[in-house]
Amino acid sequence: MSENILVIGGGPAGLNAAVMLSELGVNVALVERDSFLGGNPKKFKYKFLFPDMQPADNVIGELIKKTESAGNIKVYYSSEVSDFKENGKKFDAVIKSASGSETKTFDSVIVATGFEHFDPARDAKYSYQLFDDVIDIKDLERMMGENNFVRPSNGKPPKKVAFILCVGSRDRHVGNQYCSRVCCTVSVKQAIEMREHFPDCEAYIFYMDIRTYGFFEDLYWKAMEEHDVQIVKGRIAEITSGPDNTVVCKGEDTLLRGPFEIPFDMVVLASGMEGGPQSPEISNKLGIELDEHGFLKPENVTLSPFKSNKPGVFLAGACTGPKAISDSITEGAAAAMNAYTYAVKNR
Amino acid sequence: MALEMHDTRNSGGGRPVAEKGEHIIARHLIEDDNIKEEKNLVIDGVDVSGRWNTFIISRVNSDFDRSFFEEIKKTVVGSRINRCWQCGMCTASCTVTPLYRRFNPRAFIYMMQLGNLKELKKYIDVAWRCVGCYKCSQRCPKQVNPAEMMEALALVMKKYFPEEVKTKLKLDEDVKKIYEDMIIGHGRLDLAKLHTSAMQKSGRTKELLDKIERGAIFEMIKDGRAFSILRLGKPHNWSSSKKAMENYLHKLNTIENGEAGV
Repeated sequence: MSENILVIGGGPAGLNAAVMLSELGVNVALVERDSFLGGNPKKFKYKFLFPDMQPADNVIGELIKKTESAGNIKVYYSSEVSDFKENGKKFDAVIKSASGSETKTFDSVIVATGFEHFDPARDAKYSYQLFDDVIDIKDLERMMGENNFVRPSNGKPPKKVAFILCVGSRDRHVGNQYCSRVCCTVSVKQAIEMREHFPDCEAYIFYMDIRTYGFFEDLYWKAMEEHDVQIVKGRIAEITSGPDNTVVCKGEDTLLRGPFEIPFDMVVLASGMEGGPQSPEISNKLGIELDEHGFLKPENVTLSPFKSNKPGVFLAGACTGPKAISDSITEGAAAAMNAYTYAVKNR
Repeated sequence: MALEMHDTRNSGGGRPVAEKGEHIIARHLIEDDNIKEEKNLVIDGVDVSGRWNTFIISRVNSDFDRSFFEEIKKTVVGSRINRCWQCGMCTASCTVTPLYRRFNPRAFIYMMQLGNLKELKKYIDVAWRCVGCYKCSQRCPKQVNPAEMMEALALVMKKYFPEEVKTKLKLDEDVKKIYEDMIIGHGRLDLAKLHTSAMQKSGRTKELLDKIERGAIFEMIKDGRAFSILRLGKPHNWSSSKKAMENYLHKLNTIENGEAGV
């Protein structure tokens, strides 16, 4: 008899966990809240992934293909875990979908519910909802994915674009003190893409720190050295409308100690990552701990970042904190291994 | 204090000479260049001469001028301007910054990147102070080559602010003349002589006789540096080198005068 393992969430981490488990001969139930697999990268049509600019389809598409072709992965689309109970060392879960509810017993559970992009509208100073030309990185990613890089206000290609880092991150004012880790690299990547396809369009990045950690630094150097992306030190305090249908970024240049109000054709907000409403929800349902940042809390952040405080329930991907896709995929595999070990031990 | 000065001026009899922006409260916070005063200004048919004619230009930087960046990038010395991320290693290494605090290579490169000519203009007097020790270029983590970037800066200054450069850098022009004469005349740079001539030219002859200078001269006589040039003589085959240099300088002067419309 083979093991039954429940994977909640069909993003990069959940998909990789499911694929790994299916290769081990496990029967996997994959619960996905959307009507499609791939999570946020698919939802917002990520086109190219940092650091090597490979098409997102190489990664996400590949994982989806493997999941769909595996005989022992059952995918529940537009579904959720509506009830969850411990049953000795095993777990009874009710999976609710359009086709009705199904109760099943699982040997172990992997939670990969992911993150939500910070909604920039929550920080009124960026006027995200006020001006069409103020967009955020996920909007730009979608525009690039659809080959439709134009100013939302008039459909013309922009000539001067500002990227604003740390939107909804490292800001007590919006309640998120942490660094979202990937927005710097994503912004730099997008600036490179933009300069590659639209060399006439100037790119400026307003930063407090640029945190392109590890080898992602290569991308940041490339942006400056090969694509003339200009970095300007200072956070933007206000976005207002300017002459000739522009949006004006008001801020202080902290290196020259002077105020500036620069008009741009388009402003891209590097909005960060949040635990989203799904994190407290799943934490309640499964009885696992939530941390002070609104993400799920690992049992030991260094020794076992993929374990929850409840034995048999494992965590993978951005549900435990902001993470790059590659890290999520790694964690998916790590959680799969641990979930499998737990299932085999308690057979 | 300011009030006293005002009184003295008034007691001198006759009309007081108006100072630029004298009606502005906290005048010391505003730079001269940012004050605009019109003699007989009429706005919408209303005469606003008198104390209403004073205007303060906003400090706010309202544009990034990228064309300027492109211009610098095309020069040989400034080709790496796009690399600078303003870490400040150049200023930290700088030989000149401890002497002239306003000489800040990092800030100059940044201003050039953003095309902030308004800000650059304020540093015409110190922007030339690079001594070319190349410590910055050796230590720069991005190989920007800030030492040569300072040459790019000098070119910029000369091109965009020719008038200011001429008026504010008179002393440096004199030193340049002394330097050129010395090289062409002797074929070698005599630092002792360069120093004394520069002091004389700038009217600081008295200082040459003070204790520190006397000590330095004594030291140089003792270790032979003071007469090393005499001992060495002119370089081999100097006359042809001299001719080439004179030709070059002549050409340069012709170009410069041509540009200035002389």
